[in-house]
Amino acid sequence: MNSQTLPETFRLRAGNFNLLVLRLLDPRPEAVLPSLGDQFRKAPGFLRFAPIVIGLGDLEAAPEEVDFRALVEGLHALEIVPIGTTGGSQAMRHAAQVAGLPPLRPVGGKDAEGDVQMPAPAAAAAPPPATPAAPAASFTGSGRTAMLVAEPVRSGQRIYAQGADLIVTATVNPGAELIADGNIHVYGTLRGRAVAGAADDTGARIFALNFDPELVAIAGYYAVREGLGDAPIGRAVQVRLEGEEMRFEPLG
Amino acid sequence: MAQVIVVTSGKGGVGKTTTSAAFATGLALRGKKTVVIDFDVGLRNLDLIMGVERRVVFDIVNVIQGEARLNQALIRDKRVDTLSILPASQTRDKDALTKEGVQKVIEELSADFDYILCDSPAGIEKGALLALYFADQAIVVTNPEVSSVRDSDRILGVLQSKSKRSEEKREKVKEHLLVTRFDPVRAERGEMLKLEDVREILAIPLLGVVPESESVLRASNTGTPVIMDRESVAGQAYSDAVGRFLGEELPHRFLEPERKGGLFKRLFGGRAA
Ligand SMILES: Nc1ncnc2c1ncn2[C@@H]1O[C@H](COP(=O)(O)OP(=O)(O)OP(=O)(O)O)[C@@H](O)[C@H]1O
Ligand SMILES: [Mg+2]
Repeated sequence: MNSQTLPETFRLRAGNFNLLVLRLLDPRPEAVLPSLGDQFRKAPGFLRFAPIVIGLGDLEAAPEEVDFRALVEGLHALEIVPIGTTGGSQAMRHAAQVAGLPPLRPVGGKDAEGDVQMPAPAAAAAPPPATPAAPAASFTGSGRTAMLVAEPVRSGQRIYAQGADLIVTATVNPGAELIADGNIHVYGTLRGRAVAGAADDTGARIFALNFDPELVAIAGYYAVREGLGDAPIGRAVQVRLEGEEMRFEPLG
Repeated sequence: MAQVIVVTSGKGGVGKTTTSAAFATGLALRGKKTVVIDFDVGLRNLDLIMGVERRVVFDIVNVIQGEARLNQALIRDKRVDTLSILPASQTRDKDALTKEGVQKVIEELSADFDYILCDSPAGIEKGALLALYFADQAIVVTNPEVSSVRDSDRILGVLQSKSKRSEEKREKVKEHLLVTRFDPVRAERGEMLKLEDVREILAIPLLGVVPESESVLRASNTGTPVIMDRESVAGQAYSDAVGRFLGEELPHRFLEPERKGGLFKRLFGGRAA
């Protein structure tokens, strides 16, 4: 096949997305996480690796009382991927932003969220799809935004999330290329290339539900497939930089 | 309005022309008014496989350049009277086809036919782009091997960005996967990609699986589309695929290696061909 004629490689579009909002009623991660964990054990598969927005509007604590970093880490351990915040005071939003959770502005005003039921424990045998259905919050806020792609990314296609995270909820096939100035999340199999932190953000990470890439790169540091060594291929993995070393860590 | 169906693959030699001939004949056998267009200008294979090579007077390039009328170039099939063939030119170069010209031809055919099949050339260059540009549906022909799957994946991306439907932001081109030259024995031995792997990567609905079969070569040598050979497993698989395309629910056959020994065959009425 001839690769000289380059087809159009990307289109930038604004998009609105349905996302689940996790409204915090208690500022303490050590209180929130265990009960979340309990719920999730009852409904395995629910929300697994789903992007989620943290709702700050119901919190009555002061910003410095909330340990956002611990919260983010705890959520990741539960295989939930927080991508930003909604609501709350400006100081609170700022505190969250410092921990890597940019504020998102809901479409259609302040209280655009609706309630979502956790699936009943009885439904645990057949977990519902991880795609949130009801509530609406959008990425179109200030700070780092995210671009969502819900179709398979195919060989020859290249998607660039400029100044944004990139979330793909389908497979990324060999010969396809994802580029993001921020993080890359793939809730499918990553078989192509993923280039995160393309604007030199060494803190950017790559998450993949099924990690089987041709190449991964963060802020210019890259590893081709041959150089992946004993990385956990075929598993849920996060890739991050530690100094100049690329780390491949299984998730969950 | 006719439905325009492109038979495409990216990779060459995977069975597009075989499929175009079989599928067009199958649709026509079921009473659909069908025309199949050869877009492979310069190579001209479809007329051979359809057994009409000695009846070609004019071709699609003549029509586009105003040297012949469409119904002078159309060849009526002698076996199935609802089937016509629009051959490609063997002498012209590929640039003789233009988007405007093809559009006129397709519009004119639309008035008289239910289905217009476009047999695409290999690659993702001009000829292939033109063959898929007007498509409402696409049959993506894939062999169970890595490079074919990769190229099919590529062409699926092209379909969703370079077709008329995508440019006009209409409902997207409907995609069908047709796996051909499938060899159950080699697949079982791991010498070919497994069907599940192909489906997982391409992630589009499976229209059919056509087994590797000597009857295909026999059919093209005699200019009889393989779907007319009712003894042939490939012919039967194509026939099933046409049925599914028209909405019938048919189980996929010929996926397992044939069991030797009569008991199994007798019990289930299986048959070799
Ligand atoms: N199911 C099959 N079993 C055995 N041989 C097959 C099968 N399908 C196709 N072939 C053979 O494969 C070769 C290529 O087939 P065909 O010409 O249909 O492919 P194509 O995709 O149209 O090729 P091109 O890209 O050159 O146009 C031919 O020799 C044909 O006989
Ligand atoms: Mg051909």
